[in-house]
Amino acid sequence: MTLAASVPDTWIGTLVRTVRESKKIRVVDAAREEEAVAIACGAGLAGGRGAVLIQNAGLFNCGGVLAGLVELYRIPCFFIVSYRGDGRDPVYYHAPKGRVTEPTLSAWRVPFAIADRAADVEGQVVRGVEAAVESRGPFVLLISGEDLA
Amino acid sequence: MTPRKPLLKALAGMLTPDDVLVSCLGANARYLPHLTVPAPVFALCDSMGAAIPLALGMALQRPDRHVVALEGDGSLLMCPNVLATVAAARPSNLTALLWVNGHYESSGGQALPSAPVDWVALAKAIGIEHVERVADVASLRVVFPRARTARKAALLVLDVAFDPNEPIPPYSERPDEIRARFKIP
Repeated sequence: MTLAASVPDTWIGTLVRTVRESKKIRVVDAAREEEAVAIACGAGLAGGRGAVLIQNAGLFNCGGVLAGLVELYRIPCFFIVSYRGDGRDPVYYHAPKGRVTEPTLSAWRVPFAIADRAADVEGQVVRGVEAAVESRGPFVLLISGEDLA
Repeated sequence: MTPRKPLLKALAGMLTPDDVLVSCLGANARYLPHLTVPAPVFALCDSMGAAIPLALGMALQRPDRHVVALEGDGSLLMCPNVLATVAAARPSNLTALLWVNGHYESSGGQALPSAPVDWVALAKAIGIEHVERVADVASLRVVFPRARTARKAALLVLDVAFDPNEPIPPYSERPDEIRARFKIP
């Protein structure tokens, strides 16, 4: 990756702090998630490789840009999305987002995987990036706070 | 107010192979294939609001190129927050041209919400370092080169005439063609 565009939440913020230490990846702080998608795509179209680091609430904002930019122009775009409201999330008010995250991705026909900290998380990231490149489209890796521990 | 086409032609005439052009959907994207543009062009046909962040990603990836984004006031009104993102990223090689005609031209010519948005004041207030208004072609010929050499994130606000009867050509390139041809040397 050469660029990571992000709108943070608690979990993604933890990840972004680590990414900022990279000398290879430029972190771009975006005000809203659709921008982050377009910024990552711009980096990709210019010869780099962009990632999007956002919460699932922000992913829900991205239906238009996923369809009208990423899918329409067939641009590889790898996402790491915090899966708030899944069974591992201790915060009750995220639960409605958790219930609709996977159904939304399926309805949008966006391929995704759920990170498994018991397995090789780094390998899952690499496979997600490769999947986006090979399909020339989006790929979403859903992570829990536990995966960052 | 100046019609769109002379402004677009004048802009195309000032671009060089060291520039990159990203166009919003609508009239600009539909005219561009009919103009001689010496720079790589990535034209959107959907995704309102994506032109400036797309150009920002390119500008950050390729600091050796000057990236020019064309955006409409209807699109930017949906996501003016992107100006804050640009201001924070501080690219020295991004110039956005905002085409202000007060209408959703490509979707049927409906009027925008009638708030009297002062785009110059808004952009300055949000932290865009180089902001200028463009009134006509002569002014664009002065202001655009100045923005390019400013080496700061720039927003140029163009007041453009709205003509509901303008014979805008249809889209003549498909996204896969645009994507396949787009390369920044």
